[in-house]
Order: sequence, then C-alpha cells, then structure tokens
Amino acid sequence: MKDHPLILEIKGNSLDDGPGIRSVVFFKGCPLSCIWCHNPESKQRDVEISFDSKQCIACGSCRDICTRDALSEKNLYYINRNKCDLCLECVDPCPTGALEAVGKKMNVEDIVATVVRDKPFFDTSQGGVTLSGGEPLMFMDFTSDLLKSLKAAGIHTLVETCGLFSFSAFKDKILPFCDQVYMDLKLHDTALHQQYCGTSNELILENLLALHKLSIAGNLEFLTRIPLVPGITDTDQNLSAIASFLKENGIGQVQMLNFNPLWAEKCAKVGVAYPFENKPEMQKWLEPEKLEACKSIFLKRGIEVL
Amino acid sequence: MLFQTDPSLNLASDKKARKSRTHYLIKFLLRLMAVNFNWRPSKKQYLKSDQGWIDSTIGIRTRNGSITTAIQIKDGKVKTLSKVPENADAVFVLENDDVVKEVLKDASAMMVMMLKNKLLIEGNLNYPLLFGYYISLFTGAPEKTKDRKELASPEATHKTELDNRKKDLLKGEKVDPGVKHLSDPYLSEFSLEDFPRLAEYLDIHFTKKPEICHERPKLLTDWYKQNGFEKDNDGNPWVPELRQANAFKYLMENRKPIIRRGDLIAGTTTTREIGVVVYPDSSGSTIWSELNTADSRELNPYHISEETKEILHREVFPYWIRNRSFREWVREKYNNPVCQQLDERFAVYFLWKTVALSHTIADFPKLLSKGSQVIIEEIQKEMETDVSSDSRKKNPLEAMILCLEGLNAYAANLSKQAFEEAIGENDPERKKELANLGEICARVPKHPCRTLEEAVNALWIGWVALHMENTNAGLSLGRLDQWLQPYYEADMEKLDSAEEREVYIEKAIELIGCFYMRCTDHLPLVADIGNYLFGGSSSDQAITLGGQTPDGEDAVNDMTYIFLKVTEMLSLRDPNVNARYVPGLNTESYLKRLCEVNLITAATPSLHNDNAVLASLEEFNYDPRDARDWSATGCVEPTLSGKHLSHTNCMMMNMVAPLEMALNNGFHPLMKWKVGPDTGEIEKGDFKTFEDFYEAFLGQFKFLIDQSVELNNMLGEAHTYIRPTPLLSSLIEGCIENGRDVTWGGAKYNSSGAACIGLADVTDSLLAIRQLVFEDKRFTLEQLKGAIEKNFEGDEVIHNLILNKVSRFGSGSSEAVEMADRIAAFTHDYFGSKLNFRGGPYTAGFWSMSNHVAFGSLSGALPSGKLAEKAFTPGLTPSPVASRNLLDNIRDVAALNPRNMNNNMAFNVKVVPSSQDSHEQTVENIYSYVKTYFDLGGMQMQLNVVTSDMLRDAMEHPEEYRNLIVRISGYNAYFVTLNKELQTELIERAEYGI
Repeated sequence: MKDHPLILEIKGNSLDDGPGIRSVVFFKGCPLSCIWCHNPESKQRDVEISFDSKQCIACGSCRDICTRDALSEKNLYYINRNKCDLCLECVDPCPTGALEAVGKKMNVEDIVATVVRDKPFFDTSQGGVTLSGGEPLMFMDFTSDLLKSLKAAGIHTLVETCGLFSFSAFKDKILPFCDQVYMDLKLHDTALHQQYCGTSNELILENLLALHKLSIAGNLEFLTRIPLVPGITDTDQNLSAIASFLKENGIGQVQMLNFNPLWAEKCAKVGVAYPFENKPEMQKWLEPEKLEACKSIFLKRGIEVL
Repeated sequence: MLFQTDPSLNLASDKKARKSRTHYLIKFLLRLMAVNFNWRPSKKQYLKSDQGWIDSTIGIRTRNGSITTAIQIKDGKVKTLSKVPENADAVFVLENDDVVKEVLKDASAMMVMMLKNKLLIEGNLNYPLLFGYYISLFTGAPEKTKDRKELASPEATHKTELDNRKKDLLKGEKVDPGVKHLSDPYLSEFSLEDFPRLAEYLDIHFTKKPEICHERPKLLTDWYKQNGFEKDNDGNPWVPELRQANAFKYLMENRKPIIRRGDLIAGTTTTREIGVVVYPDSSGSTIWSELNTADSRELNPYHISEETKEILHREVFPYWIRNRSFREWVREKYNNPVCQQLDERFAVYFLWKTVALSHTIADFPKLLSKGSQVIIEEIQKEMETDVSSDSRKKNPLEAMILCLEGLNAYAANLSKQAFEEAIGENDPERKKELANLGEICARVPKHPCRTLEEAVNALWIGWVALHMENTNAGLSLGRLDQWLQPYYEADMEKLDSAEEREVYIEKAIELIGCFYMRCTDHLPLVADIGNYLFGGSSSDQAITLGGQTPDGEDAVNDMTYIFLKVTEMLSLRDPNVNARYVPGLNTESYLKRLCEVNLITAATPSLHNDNAVLASLEEFNYDPRDARDWSATGCVEPTLSGKHLSHTNCMMMNMVAPLEMALNNGFHPLMKWKVGPDTGEIEKGDFKTFEDFYEAFLGQFKFLIDQSVELNNMLGEAHTYIRPTPLLSSLIEGCIENGRDVTWGGAKYNSSGAACIGLADVTDSLLAIRQLVFEDKRFTLEQLKGAIEKNFEGDEVIHNLILNKVSRFGSGSSEAVEMADRIAAFTHDYFGSKLNFRGGPYTAGFWSMSNHVAFGSLSGALPSGKLAEKAFTPGLTPSPVASRNLLDNIRDVAALNPRNMNNNMAFNVKVVPSSQDSHEQTVENIYSYVKTYFDLGGMQMQLNVVTSDMLRDAMEHPEEYRNLIVRISGYNAYFVTLNKELQTELIERAEYGI
C-alpha cells in the first residue's frame, strides 16, 4: 500500500479518548510540527530509535552489537543519530528495554486482531477504538481500510485529527466508517499558526466548519478540542478569537486539554532538545484558576465547555 | 529424642563438640533461672497447677553442638543439665550461636528466627510456650509500644476522599423480580446517622481493645477434670462424642447470659465486650508464652486480666499440654512424622486443621423454621426407628440431643436475664425492648421462628453455640438474605400502611446492623507469630448474598439489599460479605449496586460469577439444587449450604516451594533440608529440555501434596478423638440419618479444600525458564540459578531480561494462560486424586489469605524475577509488571479454566477512581470492568478502590484511617492493623486508574 503508516502503540483501556473504555491506535507521522507537541516521537513518519536513560543499567550489550560506533555515554542523547543507520540490531539484546524501536509496521488485520480482544469491554461500556497520532488522516487509504474493518467487527470508531487533510478524501474514505471526530484547534491567528505549527491554518478552519456541518446533518459526532499551551494558545487573545469564531459558526461545545508538563523527557528519548527548557511556566500543570479563566471565555459566549 | 526428626539436624549434636562461650552464657542464665525458682516462693508458685507440679524438660542446642544444655523442672525443683536428655519434652535447635545473641538482644527476634528456620523446636510445642511464659516472669512485659488502637480517637474520621464517596448515593429501581417492598432497593435515603445505636457500636469496635476471655476454656476444663477426658470416672474410655456433648451442655448451662447494653440481639460469644476466645483443644495454648506480653505487643494487642492469666496458666493450659490438642495428639500417635515437621517449619505448607475443622456452613434454615425441639424429636425418632441402630449410631445421636439441649438452656438463661433487666430498666423504650427479648429467647431457637427479630436472634444464639463448640476460624453464616426473607415477608404482610412499612424497613436495617456488630464481638486468638503469618484476619464469618435459588430463579430479594445497605454503612472487615452474580439472570441494577458498595467501602463485597463456580463443581455430580445453594466459606470457597463438611481451608500450600526444591534437587534453601525426592541436578545438566525441568517441579509438588494430605488426614482423625462436634452435626444434613458425627464423615457431602498459593509466581517463573533458557538461550539454567542465589545482585542483565522480555500471566498472552491452566490442572488433578479422612475428595483453590506475603518472605529470589523475601502476588492475581493494561489482566484471569479451581480463587484488582468523574460515572466504570469480566467467564473478583498515596498516608496517620478496609486475598482487614510487609504488598500492587 502506498501510504502504509507505522504504528507507535496500541494503548488499551483508555478512558480519556472518547466515550467508554477504548483502545487507542497511535499513528506515526504528522503534517504539522507544533513546537509543544507532547508526542515528539509521532512527528516523523519513519522509524526512529529511542533511548531511555532512566532504564539503562549500562550493561554494554548494545555497544557490543553496534557496528557504527553510534552508542556512547559521551553522546548527548546516548545515540549519535548521525552515525546510527537504524539497523535496530541493538534493540532486542537490551535487557531493560531502554533502547526501543519507535514505530512498527502493522497491517489492518494485525491492528483489528489486537483491538478486537477488548470488544467485550467496548460493548459493556459503549466504548470502541480511537485513532490518534500523529495524524491518522495523513494515511487516508490505510485509515479508511482500518475503519472499515473495525466497523465490520461492530466497533465504534473515533478519529482524533489536527484538521489538516483533504475534505473530499475524508468524505469518500473516512466518513462512511467513522462515528465520531475529535479535532484540535490550536491557534486562530494564521501567522501564529504558521509560526508555532509550521503550516497555515486556513484549511484547518475550513475543515472544522465542514465537519461541524456533517455533525449538524447527523452524519457524525464532532467535538472541537483546544490544547492549552502556556503563553501560546492559552492567551486571552487566541481563546477569544477562537470563541468568537465558533460562536459565529454555531459551534456550541468545546473541550479544553490541560497542558501536560511531563512530556519533556520524551524529547530526550528521541534525541531532540526540549524547546521550553528555560520557561518555568512550561514545567507545571496549569493552575485551576487559569483553567477557569480560560473556560469562562467560552462560557461567556454561551459555549459549553466539557 | 522421643521422636524421629529431620536427620540433618543431628549432625554433631551429642558429639563432643567444642562448647562455645555462648554455651556458658546460656548455662549461666538457666542456672540463674533455676536458683530463682528454687529459692523464691513468689516465682516457685508458678511451677504448680491446680493439679500439682507441672514437670517439664527443655533442651537447648545448636546444630553443631557448640551449645548443649537443658533445664529440668520436676516436682517443683529446677536444675540445669549439661546434656539434652533423651526424654526431653522439647528442644530448641539453633542454627548457630548468633541466634542466641540476636534473641538476647531483642526477645521479639525469636519469632523471626523461628520463621526463618534459624530456630527450630523439636518435640511438643506446648512446652516451649510454657518455657516462654517462665522467661516472661523474669523479663516482665516489654516496654509498651504505642498501641495503634489507642492512637485512634473517637473523633478520627475518614480522609475526605473516602467520605466523599458517601455523597450522591445512587437510587435503585425496583426491577429484581424477588424484591417485594423496596421502591428504592439501594436504600439511598439512609445513612449511619439514622442509626445512633449502630454508630455507637461502631465506635466501640474501633476503640475498644479486645480482651482474652477465659470463660469457655475454664468451664470446659473444669468439666473434664471432674469427668475425665480419655476415661470416664468408672475407668471406661469415653465415647468422644458423648464426652464433648456433656461438656458442651455444661458450658452452655453455666456460661453467663449477657445482653449488650442497648442491643436488639441477646447473647455474646464471651464475657468481654470484644472477647478473644480460647480453644485449648486446638491452638489455644499458643498464647501461653505471651500471657504477660500480649497486652503490649505492637500488632493487635490483647488485654488480659490478672485473673485470666492465673486461670489460664494454672487451671487450663497444663491440663491440655501433653496430648490433648490436635497437633500433639498426632505427634504422639504418629511419632512426629515428617509431614508434621514440614508443617511446623512454616515455609512449605500450613495446615489449618491444627486449629479447626470449621470452614463450613450449618443448616440455619432448618434451625429457624423447625426449631431445635423438632430436631431433637427427629433425632429421637431416628434412634427408635432405625433398628440397625447400634451404639455406633446411638452415641453420636445422643450426643446431638445433649448439645441441642445445651443450646436451649443458654437461650432460656438469656430470656431470664432479659426479663430481669427489663424489671430494673428505667427507660420505657428499652424496658420494652428487653421484655421483647425475654419473649423472643423464651421461644427461639427451641421453637420455629415467626418474625425477623426472632429469626435473627435464633441465628445469633445458634452462632454463639457453634463457636462454643468449634474454633472461630472460618465458620461461615451462609445465604442470610435467602434465609431471612421469609420472615421479613411475613412481618410485612401484617402491616397495612405504607408508613408502617417504611418504619419497618428502617427497623430491619437496624436489626441486621446489630447482627453485624454482634459478629464483631469475638476475635480469633492469634499468637504474635500469627500477626506475621495471617495479618489482620478476623474469624472470617462469610455471608453470601444474591445469586440464584436452588431452582435456578433470580434470588436477589429485599433482604439482599438490606444486607448491602448495612455492609455499605458499617464498612466492617468481618462479617466477610460475598455476593453471587448470575450472568443473564441477575439484573444490571443489582450488579451496579454491588459495584457502588465496593466503591463506598473500598473493598467489599467480594464478587462471584455463579456460572463459573457451578462449572467448577460439575465434576462432583452434586444434586443441582444443592449446588445452586452454595455459599462462600471463610474467604471465598464454595460450600453446599447445610449439607457439606467442606473444610475449605484445611491447608495453605506454597506452590513456590516445590519450584525452589526442583531447582535444588529436593533441597529446600530456607529450611536447609533435603527433604524432597531426587529430581535432577542443574549442575549435572540433568535438564535437557523445559519438559525435563517441568517434570522435576511436578515431582517435588507431588511430594509436598502427599505430605500435606497425609498430615491433614492424621489431623482429621485427631478431630474425631479430641473434638467431635455433635451440635454442628445436628445442623448438617446427613449426620442424623447416618448417625455419625461430621468429623467422621456424617455429612451428605464431604471434601477438604486447599488454598494453593503463588500460581502467578510459579507460572511466570516457568515461562521465564522456558523462554529465556530453553527457547531464546539467553542464559543457562545454571546461570539463572546462580543469579537467584545471589538475589540477582551483580546479575542485573538476567534480572532485567526476565522483567522485560517474558510474556507473563496477565499480559494478554495465550501461552501464559495455557501455562497457568496446565499448572492449575495438575494441582487440581493431583489433589483431586486423594481422599480425606472422611472419605471425601480434596479440592484446589487459588487464593491466599495473607500467606502470599508470609510464604513470600520465606522464599528466595525466583526465576520470575521476584526478589528474596518479597511477597508473591495475592491469590492468582497477575504480577504488577505483567501489563500496564488492566484489560490484559482481566482477560487472562477470565480465560482460566474454572474446572481446575473447585475451591475458588481470588483475583485482586486495585482501581483508582478519577477525581474528575461523578459518583455515578465511577460506578459505571467499575461496573463495565466487572460485568465484562463475568461475561468472559471470570470466576471471582475483589476490588480495592483506593490509591497507593492513600495507603501510604494511612501508614503515616493510622488514626485517620481506622476504618479503612482492604481486601487482602479473600478476606478483609483494617489496613492500619496489618504488619508492614502486608501494608507494603498492598501498596505495591498494580494500580489502575478508572
């Protein structure tokens, strides 16, 4: 298949990614490159190698195997990614799992076989499967096949998306097999969006409205989610602009996603610098008062906050 | 020595080994003791019982003979000996001199030394207890550690997190077909504040220190002294049933009839507000050495009055010391068999049969509906009509009648007491209640019950009587919702208005609440060592709710919900509440309520899938009506109510021990004893394939099962001689028709159940060996053994490979489930191939009380990666490292074949509700897991709805968490009363956010 994605992980028993008990399939690869991305390992499409210094017991098993001399405690993130050719020969001998391959090739049948084991839990809790990422809609054909198979197995489906996709492809390939969509809206201002997320947001805003129309027509359930990033997305200006935009377009419901400071260590694992090293506000959760203030911006305009 | 012993102990004992300095120190101390006894009358008086001087000889020696000495007490004279005489009553065998140094530094170290097999006792175990008592006369009570209960002030409350769970209670719908009169079956309008009587009792429960009561042992011992134990006064051997019955009747006629202040139920188990019952015929004398110290011990201290100490030391224990307990009777008759020595080393199995034959359920419906008088008439008729009735049948029947008369006598005394108190009572309300109690006890349990309060009182009086006869260890109550519903309905029918019914429902809740609080009036006697082996356990009086009727109809009724309301309000560790759920028959509403009560209480009731339990019992071809009438016993185990002497906890078997022995060719590392058969040496390369090693494991396991069964059967015989139980027999179907005591197999159904401990640890160990040694060849078996012996120190690579590369049981691996099933099938089949003393089969269960901690602390590091002395997983719960996904755990456990688990199992799940979710949403979430687990065929599940932080906080501030109950494995305990090891195990359990 031409757009076969890698899968990062299938996480079972999630209660935070849609209704009921869900399994979440994380895709690898995303068209945006948000500076705060909590899943830095999901940005690239290709396989990567990660190293967790906390788990390493310095047994040297990996160094004995590496033919490229890419592994050393002297390297900033242990792995010299300039030398490493991603042969991944060092992963299996690592006794602790400190070294891991990031991204695994799975076909649709493998994924369905994995998640279907939890179908009894979906059934009792009205849960199902959530596709997340990364960006599942970067891989329209694969995602379409996957959703089709999940629906054939009688499983409720939900797609989490950044909103950057071709709507006509969505309508053809995704909509028939998708029960629910969660879409993130980060920044309303196009320039800022370009600055922080690496792309313009015009298509995203367009898609948001198109999805909303589908939901009004009863074709799918739809929810807008706003990730709160201190000083970037949680500003009065941004949230007010988003709120007005939603209000104008008749969208009456949003969900806030609190900033999670715990992702910093994920950066080091895949060998990238944590971009907010010197920003104290990025090292903690948002204060409850701040959260309330953010919410009130929407409530004021009659928009329900979940 | 008197008895054969582990030959490895006798290496150099009486050879002329060089004596150490410690030897002379010990001799000096013993001499000092002797001088004191001989010359100080204040001490000498303790050498005498009311029957004369207590003679004893106690030896002390090390394995290599560096110490050999003894103290002999004869006719009131004490002297030290330089050799251990052949006829010593008991000998302390020490691993080496260091043991003495440890014990002299800190007396409490003795217990640890015993558990770790560094200090062994050869011979009669009662004599060292007496010796321990003598020592305490010189050392006095240790400095009083702060009693945890005293720390608790009446104001102490739950942390808000637990309190919040009681807000916004759900309302139920009247959808269960058996519910007749409850418009909101969840009874959400009621709370503890509505029942001041219960609130007061609950407060006493948490603040009053339990006290040892001498009433039962004294009255019984008095009777035996008058009338003989082995022989009657004419010199003829006693028929044990008749001896017990006469003694029991004497006890019941003469014990004090007590009605607790303000109570709606008459009668008490002891004369103390919260009493500890002493059974010198079973394990009662284990407290002998602690008479002067139990008051100040750290865990579960007991108050003991000076009078009680005197009576127990002088009048009671000496009478039983030689061979009148189950354990010592077996030792004398069977010459200290190896199977018994193994039991006394703590590390491989523990036989509850040394304590009781009580894990069963009496036919209360018969007692309540017919009354004891009709049962007496039934017995008399049996004696008259069965012409074949020889004395073999006649004596047990006569004994039953005597016991039922004893039961009636106690009720009559209670009635008299109630009327007398009514006369002196000034409060008109209470006066009425007392007079009413007088009427009730005048009628029941002799005559058929007509009302709920008669039924509850008859039940309680019967319950007290059964505990006067039989040890309070796992004797269980059964399906009380089923058995009380007819009386509740009869009462309701007499009421005309809705208001009257409302008032009645509140009264019914209060009455059942009083019954629960009555059940907390007694505690089992636990020697301090038991605090470490069976931490925090009460007597585990299981109540069973819900499920189906014998005809297969939905059994959930009004009383089911009334019991659940009481369970929710009181949050007691005991009675141990178990709920049956029949998928496809019982309503969602009922299962949701069970989940809600678990959320509010944090740990109860335990949940059972009827379909799986019945599938596990299929092999026995029980009458299906009887099988559907099963109740949980002690912890979780099934007994066919009123028809079945199931002794479902006859033993606790350590499944890890045979694994350790297989790694060492029959040698057990902690016991340092080559006791098992030769099954192959790793060092010689005897194991070419995984199957070779698996066979070795089975070989050792068979050996231990053989031994445990041999001992259990000897103890079964001991029960027929030392303590047949005619009262219980009269209340178990089959005994009257057969004219046989239950101890002889008189019941309609007989079996003995084992608790097999460490299934997940053994499964994971064998998976690790198969995968990493034999398949992937990451290291050799010899390397693995070396790593284990070093507790993985310096072998981090091996340890981490095991922790990270093995698909464990509970990780969602079908191979792991197959392995667990394979081991469970062997356990079930091999136990199942044995017959007990009563002619019934052995059953196998996979739950652990608290012994996964005790056995874990007595085992080394394991191929599963478990470190030395760390706990096993509770019951058959997957290891916390198996998966981060709770669903993997649930699916794997549900996939186990119930046919291998005919003594049930315990699957612990620790869930943490999200602070974001509403009460209703949290209940929904719990319900989703439980319901799906049952739909998948899972047999049993028990929840702990707590967080590790909360538990850590409770360790720091026990006074704030006095009523926090936790599910250990099968039973509940108050977290703050547990030993540190158990508390740690609970904290380290996998925790899943919901």
